Amino acid sequence: MKTLRDAALLARKDLISLRRAPLVVILLACYPLLIAGLVGTVAGYANSRPRIAIVDLDHIPAKTKVAGHTYQIKNLIDEVAKNVRISWMTKPEAAQALRTGEAVGVITIPKGFIAQLKSVVSSPQVEFETSQGGISSRVIQQMQALIYNLNRKLQDAYVKDAIGYISVIRNGGKADFLGSNYKVLGIKKARALLAGEKNNPDAAKIVRFLDTAEGALRASEVSAKAVAQPIKLATETRNGRGWLLSAQMQAYALALTVSILALALGAAVTASERDENVACLLGRGLVSRLSLLAAKIALATIISLAVGSVILLAFGIIVDVGGIAGGQPWQRVPLVLVGVTLFGAALGAIGTLIGALAREGRSATLGALLVALPIVLLGLIPREVAPPAGYVSDIFPFSHGERFFSSALYDLHPWATIGPEALWLLGLLVVWGALARLAQPRLTEA
Amino acid sequence: MAETLLAARTISRRFGRVIALEPIDLELRSGEAVALVGPNGAGKSTLMAILAGALKASGGRLSVTGSAKVGWLPQRPAHYGRLTALENLVLFARLEQMKHPEQQAAQMLERFSLPSDRLSTYLSIGNRQRLSLAIALLGDPNVLLLDEPTASLDPKQRALLWSEAQRHIEAGGAIFFSSQNLEEVERHATRVIALDSGRLVFGGGPEEYTVWEREP
Repeated sequence: MKTLRDAALLARKDLISLRRAPLVVILLACYPLLIAGLVGTVAGYANSRPRIAIVDLDHIPAKTKVAGHTYQIKNLIDEVAKNVRISWMTKPEAAQALRTGEAVGVITIPKGFIAQLKSVVSSPQVEFETSQGGISSRVIQQMQALIYNLNRKLQDAYVKDAIGYISVIRNGGKADFLGSNYKVLGIKKARALLAGEKNNPDAAKIVRFLDTAEGALRASEVSAKAVAQPIKLATETRNGRGWLLSAQMQAYALALTVSILALALGAAVTASERDENVACLLGRGLVSRLSLLAAKIALATIISLAVGSVILLAFGIIVDVGGIAGGQPWQRVPLVLVGVTLFGAALGAIGTLIGALAREGRSATLGALLVALPIVLLGLIPREVAPPAGYVSDIFPFSHGERFFSSALYDLHPWATIGPEALWLLGLLVVWGALARLAQPRLTEA
Repeated sequence: MAETLLAARTISRRFGRVIALEPIDLELRSGEAVALVGPNGAGKSTLMAILAGALKASGGRLSVTGSAKVGWLPQRPAHYGRLTALENLVLFARLEQMKHPEQQAAQMLERFSLPSDRLSTYLSIGNRQRLSLAIALLGDPNVLLLDEPTASLDPKQRALLWSEAQRHIEAGGAIFFSSQNLEEVERHATRVIALDSGRLVFGGGPEEYTVWEREP
């Protein structure tokens, strides 16, 4: 009972002290938000367009006629390159750009490309080189998308051309093929010519053949159109959450802000007991070490809850005022705040450990920031990309908190996720709290 | 014979390989004012912190008699800068589990003529030292440990502090104070012990100490 009472007295004292240092409070609240914004901006860059160099060894002309249609191939490439920035370069320039990272990939258009394209007999090939690295797989995907888009443009022309040939065979007329001009009679006219030969059994056979061919060609015309796009993607843009207001962004912002805040606060208020020379007074039996530890963890938790509530409220108001589809799940906010409580407490325990080890306020705050950033960044690495980072991240609260918040806010059935994550956070609170308790003599001994 | 309030038997302290305090015996009796003297680094603050219970002795035994309580004024003021003097006193009175913390705190505030509404961080050094003494006296300790209590005080503040110490002794308590000021030791101590490099080098009355100290 005395332990709890003393912890409450010390936590109240810390709250009063914080209230009397408004600049510190503003910094404590704004700094993590600034970091969250910067990390968000950097994460946003992940979606930015990488630069691709194109080397044109075939000296593509301004206009090229393929399958009876005239194309501006270079313009076409620029037009379909939606997710990459294209730079036309010479071969040495491109090689240098790839080496220095100025470009993340090089497409080489080989000699004879246009001639092969015009032949419509075999597919010409372009070569793609990319550097090894974290985004190479994404660059390859974007190159595949570029070639896909280019193929689609050309494919449309090829299909129209093929349909034109079918039309000429059915209806008659003039046609160009492989550079030669032909005058075609056409099935309909051929059938009309044979109409006068009713007594000729061979003519009747030919007419039956023409009827069959006509039917087959009609079907070919339809299927040629279908082959061009076996599956069509119907895209509709709805008034949903953009990246900035996405569920994941909200969970990250909350986790990142609370992480830095609780760590720095736990460390600073713990070390401040020594800075004010009071730790030794308390440590001589006036309060138990458990009370002192509980007071610091409680303070970190209370401030985490306050700042977490403000973040949830701010997101909610923006989402509601903006009329964003789905809205803010207000009924889930209490569940998120349960997570913030466990999360803030676990981080407060780590902060208290840092504060006890550092023994001095400035070193403690610096130490907390130095520890906070790797914890946060480790938690941001997707587990599928680097499993060891995921295992290391498991011993810190960040990733557990982020998963808890994300699930509590938006999963239809969150319990399967938040149950284990809550246990993780509770376990981490106990483990880090025990370590902080072991370090307390370093703080309280004179 | 006066009652023994605090007794230390062969207490010592090491910091790694460094011996900060060699085994030492010490008793503090009711009505005594014992001065602890010695050059910087002699081990005075280490001994004081061990007696206060703020530092664990590496060896030996410390016993506090019966219901005797120990109050401690560390060398550097010890209180919360962002609380007023009154708030500091109320907080420590509550932690001491005193029955009427607000009342006790108000009495201490008046007794030590401390301003009630200013944050402690803005108090003068003298007032901060007096606030620390007031905190040390909360809970009516029998033994008062004062670590260089007058080092940063002006003559008027010193006189005020010694009058409080005298009041404590007259009430049946004991004080154990460290000092570098020979005149202060001669005037206020009933017994002197001297440390050098962690070893006890003198124990006796203030007059004997004066003679011992002047010997080449």
